[in-house]
Amino acid sequence: MLGFLTARQAGLDDPLRLRRAESTRRVLSLKLNPDRDVDRIHGNGINTIDIEAIEGRYMLSGGADGVIVIYDLENYSGKPQYTCKAVCTVGRSSQNVHKFSVETVQWYPYDTGMFVSSSFDKTMKVWDTETLKPAEVFEFEGNVYSHHLSPIARKHSLIAVGTKNPKIQLCDLKSGSRIHVLQGHRAEVLSVRWSPRYEHILATASADSKVKVWDVRRASGSLFTLDQHSGDKSKASSEAVNTAHNGRVNGLCFTGDGLYLLTTGTDDRMRLWNSATGENTLVNYGKVCNDSRKRLQFTVSRGCSPEFVFVPCGSSIAVYALHTGELVTMLRGHYNNVDCCEFHPDYQELYSGGKDCNILAWVPVLRASDVEEELHCANTGAAGQSSVNPAFQDAWSDED
Amino acid sequence: MELSQRDRLSKLVEELTTSGQPQLNQDKMKEIKKICKVSNDCIDHLYHLVMSQLNQEHSEIRLSAFQITSELFSRSHHFRMLLVDNFQEFLELTVETDSDQPLPPPKEVARKLRSLAIQTVQSWQASYGTAYKKLALGYHFLKQVKKVDFQDAEARTVAERRREEERQRRMERIYKERVETACRDMEELQQEIEATLTEMESCMKLLFPEFSLTDIQTVNSSPSHSVPANHCPSGDEQPCCSRDLRDDRTGEGSREEKTNCGTGKKGGEDEGMTEEKGGKRNDGEEEKGKGKKERREVEGEEEEEEEDEEGSIEEEEEETFDEDLFIRNSGLISHSYSLDLNLNPGFHLKETEDNEVVVSTVIDLHRLITTKHLPAVQGWVQVFTKAGAEQQLLRRALDLKRSLEAALQKHKELHIDYKTRVRRVMKATDGEDDDEDDDFDEVPEKEGYEPHIPEHLRADYGLDPSPSTSAAPVTRKPTAKRPAALPPQPLSSSSSRCLKRLTEEEQDPTCAAATLRVLRQTLPLHAESSSSTDPSSSQSSSDQKPVDAPVVPFGLDLYYWGQEQPNAGKIIKAASQHQFWVPCEVEEEVENEQLLAESRSRYISFPGSFTPVTHHCRAPLGNGKLCQRQDRLKCPFHGRIVPRDQDGRPFRQEDRLREEQEERRRREEQPDWRDAELMRDIEAATGENLSSDRVRKGKKKKFPNLSDLKLNANTSRSRLEKKVFNKSTVRRVAQVMSKADRRKHEKFSNQFNYALN
Repeated sequence: MLGFLTARQAGLDDPLRLRRAESTRRVLSLKLNPDRDVDRIHGNGINTIDIEAIEGRYMLSGGADGVIVIYDLENYSGKPQYTCKAVCTVGRSSQNVHKFSVETVQWYPYDTGMFVSSSFDKTMKVWDTETLKPAEVFEFEGNVYSHHLSPIARKHSLIAVGTKNPKIQLCDLKSGSRIHVLQGHRAEVLSVRWSPRYEHILATASADSKVKVWDVRRASGSLFTLDQHSGDKSKASSEAVNTAHNGRVNGLCFTGDGLYLLTTGTDDRMRLWNSATGENTLVNYGKVCNDSRKRLQFTVSRGCSPEFVFVPCGSSIAVYALHTGELVTMLRGHYNNVDCCEFHPDYQELYSGGKDCNILAWVPVLRASDVEEELHCANTGAAGQSSVNPAFQDAWSDED
Repeated sequence: MELSQRDRLSKLVEELTTSGQPQLNQDKMKEIKKICKVSNDCIDHLYHLVMSQLNQEHSEIRLSAFQITSELFSRSHHFRMLLVDNFQEFLELTVETDSDQPLPPPKEVARKLRSLAIQTVQSWQASYGTAYKKLALGYHFLKQVKKVDFQDAEARTVAERRREEERQRRMERIYKERVETACRDMEELQQEIEATLTEMESCMKLLFPEFSLTDIQTVNSSPSHSVPANHCPSGDEQPCCSRDLRDDRTGEGSREEKTNCGTGKKGGEDEGMTEEKGGKRNDGEEEKGKGKKERREVEGEEEEEEEDEEGSIEEEEEETFDEDLFIRNSGLISHSYSLDLNLNPGFHLKETEDNEVVVSTVIDLHRLITTKHLPAVQGWVQVFTKAGAEQQLLRRALDLKRSLEAALQKHKELHIDYKTRVRRVMKATDGEDDDEDDDFDEVPEKEGYEPHIPEHLRADYGLDPSPSTSAAPVTRKPTAKRPAALPPQPLSSSSSRCLKRLTEEEQDPTCAAATLRVLRQTLPLHAESSSSTDPSSSQSSSDQKPVDAPVVPFGLDLYYWGQEQPNAGKIIKAASQHQFWVPCEVEEEVENEQLLAESRSRYISFPGSFTPVTHHCRAPLGNGKLCQRQDRLKCPFHGRIVPRDQDGRPFRQEDRLREEQEERRRREEQPDWRDAELMRDIEAATGENLSSDRVRKGKKKKFPNLSDLKLNANTSRSRLEKKVFNKSTVRRVAQVMSKADRRKHEKFSNQFNYALN
């Protein structure tokens, strides 16, 4: 650490290096922190969360009971103890609330004044954050599994929507209408993702175990379909041609730079693909438990030097090194299946929601004070520590 | 951490968890704590041990492990860290948060574990919830997602009280309804019951004038009554006798009929019956005289036997015979005499022709009371007492009950000898007979064939001595050929009835009489082998021979018996069926010697006759008895059957030698001093291993203190399952079904409309 600091001071290193090293260290020390709580608003499982990209302050969450909550993550109290307050809620009492489970929520990438939510009640609503009323409602024929707004799009404001219908709908926020349909899948589309690198590139994952990458400017069809065997015909049986997984593909995630694409499927596998060529990089993550019938929301760290993947795995969250496939750690804290997790790039915090109605904040645990420091305040600190936390003391009775 | 500590910990944890006790052993727990106090490594080790025990599929193990956990949780921070880190699994294993993994049996312990775990988690949350985040999360998870009611302890009492009240109210309502219905029933039935009682009373008065329902209470206390026998006015010359008893025995207990001494008795009985059934009296007239003669012969014997058997009615019996003698001697049936009878236990009433109607009414009433009225009244009493109804109702019901019981008691006191109307009416009332004559000793049903019956007891068995009398009518012939000393016996109606019954029984293969008949036909008479006391027996056996002659089915040889068969053995060859086209030289008839011989001969297969085994194995058993197996040649346990004395030693020298040899060999294999229990005792005393385990049979249960889970599985369902889902059964069924399929396939496979299904 000191070496990094001196190198930074001397201007030897790129400032990015220090930043990367520090954020990597923080990510590696992610723990369930008793100081950070998130209000329990949801009375049912939490399907999706999203943290806005502008300030990194507000977090959206959508529950299986149709409730949408906005939390304030910023701690201005000055104490380490902080409970993330729910700023506002679209509760059951609201007339505009989704009737059924909310599957996806997403902030408008450029402004917190708007967010989009889609639900199993076959609608997608565009909300005004101030009034908490839908500005626009799109209705579909089937349950909406997933939608996504391009985080970098400047030339279009399209929302890709994956529904029970195999056709992918593109809705334009400008006109408020469905303008385009992408055909090619044969089963419901469980997840859609825009590339963070090219604004017209869209990846879609479907229950027919295929993942297609589209250029929305091209009308004729998809650019390519991800193939787990990379076109090697000898390995693939006839029906497994051009499939990304041997089961439903229910999770999609681009890496921060958009160069790689991660997919998860119900075959308990996670695969890393080169998003430019569609080639399977054959990174082995081992078994990633996944029996969700809906979309699985997982995330990738940003700004670390080996990047990490956070993927829900049963009732815990598995942390893998992205390129080596090494399991770094398992974050265990939920008491039921975890459905979604979201990485906060600014503070290297991780938020996860699960079927046990909890949103847990995984906060880096700062290193314990050094020995010198402890010696320095030995008289006060130690006593204070013990008085603060009597629960941490052993209580061996003498007669035992 | 030292290895010894490690081992000690493992051992202690295993002992504690497999003790099966609801509470932990405090000494062992203290030792664990002492070890754990030393270092965190020990706690690590203990944590893993406890978790592995918590994973066992046995709630008692889990409960004990949980108790260890809670002991340590309150003491060690390190342990808390470890446990809270894996709190999900812990909750799954103790609180049953995952419905896919229910708590293992036994059920009560599982329930206890669950409630204890919930309470403990709550207390942990109270004291450590703020410090251990996951503990708090788990608590909230239980509270909000699993909806566990932590205030159970307090809430339960309230809820329970409410539930209890509700139940009480419901029960009250039910009781009220029941009381009402019972009341209504009682109103309806009371008159009927009273009428029944009156009827009963008057019947009894008719039967027994001095015996009324009112003095029932006094009847019991009074020692004995001297009552004039009621048969005097009826003119029946026989007082109550053991006829019914004997009938009963000949019907049920008859095993053996040997000598002819009982014939006379039969005749005697028959006489009584003749009187009852006057219609059939005529045909038995002449035989009756002979029967009486016979009876005189057997008189003494019979008396003896009666003395042997019934002390209680002995007196009357004698009187019976005295009286019989009187009748026989005087030759006239007096209408004027009266008899004083001493009835020791109470009264004896005999059903006669005259009081038959009354008695049958009494029977009907008795049945009505026992089957209908008394249960109804008892039900009312029960309902009233349970529901706490008004005293008046209860008293009325009790009064009714008392009077009914009194009537029954009196009926019992009367000791009415019912006629065997069972067969006459219907078989269904068979049981009643037994109820009525409960003053007779129950004679245990004899099993098997008893060849040796003392002479004086033979009649006791109620047996017809001659095998022929009771045999089927076909075999009646030999009876007629009896020596003149025994003239043809009376064929009165009752004896024929008796016979008929016997024959019926003989037809029934399950009945003892059937076996008896087989025996009688096959075995040479016992009397023959023993010193023949009566000459007739040997004679009768020679008479029996024609019966033994084989009966052959009718055949051609019998048809042509003694005739010359005209064209036997000739085969007519018709080489061609053509009308006029005949081959030139054809011998139309061929003589076949063999065929000829066959038509005159007959094959008779002679497999021999079945002889039942009469001997026992009689090898000495371990418990001092002799082996009672009746095998023909070889006992499966003791080898060849050899003659033995009463101690079970073989008579013959070589047999004795052989047995001794075998004994010696066995002793060499397993020396006496190596008795398994003795060895174990020695081992326990000396601490040395003498390899007594070698002889220990069966697998010892690993943890004897835990309740056996498999034991509960022994239900009728599981037993059936064992049978039905038996591998061989399933295979057999599958085989049969596939065979049926294949047959169908073979038959119809080329017809497309069958081929599809």
